[in-house]
Amino acid sequence: MAEKKFTGVAARMTPRRGRDLTLSCAAIAAILLFTHFAMQGFILDAYLVRILNMCATYAILGLSMNLVNGFTGLFSLGQAGFMAVGAYVTTILFLSPEAKGALFYLKPMEPFLQAIQLPFWLSLLVAGLVSALAAFLIGFPCLRLRGDYLAIATLGFSEIIRVLFTNMQTVTNGAVGLKGIPPVVNLWWSFGIMALVIVFIRRLMRTSYGRAFKAIRDDEVAAESMGISLFKHKMMSFVLSGFIAGLGGGLIASIVGSINPLQFRFILSYDILMIVVLGGMGSVSGTVVAAFLITAAKEWLRWLDNGFSLGLFRVPAIAGMRMVVFSVLLMLVILFYRQGLSGGKEFSWQALIDFLGKPARRDLKREEGGKKT
Amino acid sequence: MKKLLALSLVLLLAIPFVAMAESAEPIKIGIFEPLTGSKAAGGEMEYRGIQVAHALVPEVLGRPIELVPVDNKSDDVEAATAASRLVEAEKVDIVIGSWGSSLCIAAGPSFEKAQTPAIGTSCTNPQVTLGNEYYFRVCYLDDFQGTLLANYAKTNLGAKTAAIICDISNVYAIGLRNYFLEAFGEENIVAEAYFNTGDQEFSAQITAVMDKNPDVIFMPSDFTEPGLIMKQARDLGYADILFLGGDTWETEAIIDIGGAAVEACRFTTFFDADAEPSEESAVFLAKYEEMFGGKPKSSVTALGYDAYMAAVKAIEAAGTTDGPAVQAALCALTFDGVTGRIAFDGNGDAIKNKAIIKTVEEGAFKYIDTVVIE
Repeated sequence: MAEKKFTGVAARMTPRRGRDLTLSCAAIAAILLFTHFAMQGFILDAYLVRILNMCATYAILGLSMNLVNGFTGLFSLGQAGFMAVGAYVTTILFLSPEAKGALFYLKPMEPFLQAIQLPFWLSLLVAGLVSALAAFLIGFPCLRLRGDYLAIATLGFSEIIRVLFTNMQTVTNGAVGLKGIPPVVNLWWSFGIMALVIVFIRRLMRTSYGRAFKAIRDDEVAAESMGISLFKHKMMSFVLSGFIAGLGGGLIASIVGSINPLQFRFILSYDILMIVVLGGMGSVSGTVVAAFLITAAKEWLRWLDNGFSLGLFRVPAIAGMRMVVFSVLLMLVILFYRQGLSGGKEFSWQALIDFLGKPARRDLKREEGGKKT
Repeated sequence: MKKLLALSLVLLLAIPFVAMAESAEPIKIGIFEPLTGSKAAGGEMEYRGIQVAHALVPEVLGRPIELVPVDNKSDDVEAATAASRLVEAEKVDIVIGSWGSSLCIAAGPSFEKAQTPAIGTSCTNPQVTLGNEYYFRVCYLDDFQGTLLANYAKTNLGAKTAAIICDISNVYAIGLRNYFLEAFGEENIVAEAYFNTGDQEFSAQITAVMDKNPDVIFMPSDFTEPGLIMKQARDLGYADILFLGGDTWETEAIIDIGGAAVEACRFTTFFDADAEPSEESAVFLAKYEEMFGGKPKSSVTALGYDAYMAAVKAIEAAGTTDGPAVQAALCALTFDGVTGRIAFDGNGDAIKNKAIIKTVEEGAFKYIDTVVIE
């Protein structure tokens, strides 16, 4: 009698779903355990922890860019500017008044700003909000543009933010920059925020707003004629992306420990764009995987710089060889996998199992097929 | 097929690096330099100096020295990771570098935390060593340089008034401007103008400054903009005004950009091959000639050499590669390097007594004077 009255999750529970759920729980448990032990210093040294922190932070930044570029179809290159806002707001709010006093040796800091000191989570939250505000203000003129024009305008605004920071001597310490930011960001912080952002974007894409974003990406005219307010939805996507980029900037400030305006040149936006393009426009899992692969590979491929032997002949040490790999990879992806490494799809256990071995799939198919008939 | 291509690509990347067998356990010196990116030219010149020194003194404490170059890509975020790699993964005993102060500032906390001493080469910003016991440097600071230039302008050039054209987006330039202003006397500065790194057109600044008729123009900045400014000043008809600058001007690009106009300049630098040769510099120059041919193009090569020598001498004095012991040895170290006598003050900054003044003549840098301060 109860069989047919299942609702919610239970109603949709097929063997496949059950298996996916089990696998997901196991994976999450494994990640949590790993993080726990890594934090105790058992598995990883400080260098590897730093790389993992950077991986997670770049995943967050990649997701923020993918929200605008991949899901909403707006070609925006302003990420570096929003990161700068996030990094500076976090640092200014989080540093102790004494530390700030010592840093501002050319001109003293605004007394009001110097006196503020907030806990890290609150600094980060405010940083996100201020970045979102910046995105809101920039969005007004920019989002009326399309395609390449939008890219140029956002690029310009991100440079304007940087130049403003260079010249606001009493607020940002100008070109000197800020240093001595306490390294509070650990794996819990970076992976925790990354998980929140992933869940948020996945959920968002299933709401009417998310569907409207995709509709705008696929065909603006059609979307508008279906009653979607273009400006409102573009702005929403842009502001959310600014918020997430601000969080990422704040995390970077604490991981690196020092910031200055030159760190946030437009070239930084291209680094993130590479992650988005390689991972696949409009794919959350693709972006995360690409962020981890690229950030880790930058370190892992250092042996290429030092020269290596290819059996018969020896390749001499050439600084920068490892960056060639990314250029080649980017070209291959653009030529053969236009949709990025993920093919524009999301991660699923089924796809992984299909990839690893075909027998498992056949068994499950038969099982499911048997049920249906 | 595509899957195969993707897989083989990944595998190709994964060909493991074949580790070379070593006999005696080497002492590892990490080279933390920008070998790619916008600062690569500077990093490369310093690395050459380090290689020359390494060829001359390849072992210490009876153990061979191994150089471990790690590229920081001229990028602060990469620099922090590269520093962490040097101390955590490569486990180097001491670090040399880098060209570019902001890279050093980003790397500082990693070295301090791992108690690995680092010797800066040409990073002149005070913040590099400030509050970091493990960061030292062999170059002089902006305060020494600024003061020296002001004194040189007053006594040697007989200048009564000066004007300043400063790059306000460059920390190095701002620092230099402040120290020059202090030493020259604020009342003697008749005009001041600013620009940003990357600017191309300077006639507004030049005319504003020249209206006040200064004896010299002090122009703290990197090398591209001063080249342009000197050229444009000459085009505007101000042919006989003298320009003063700091150590960054000793880059050949300034001559390429400014052409004959840059002959109206004087700048400080760390080392010159034509200045009265000491024993140390003769050895350095001979070995450089043998390894790379010709003379070093910039004095930062000499600083790389001196940094390496300081590292070796400190390890020798400490008798061990233990971080804190080497740090203590560095604090107590005094030696004659290629760029003059070097000792470290409480901050880890080099106490230098000598600076070189150079100019440009017939398309090449020319030595003018050595200024020694007691």
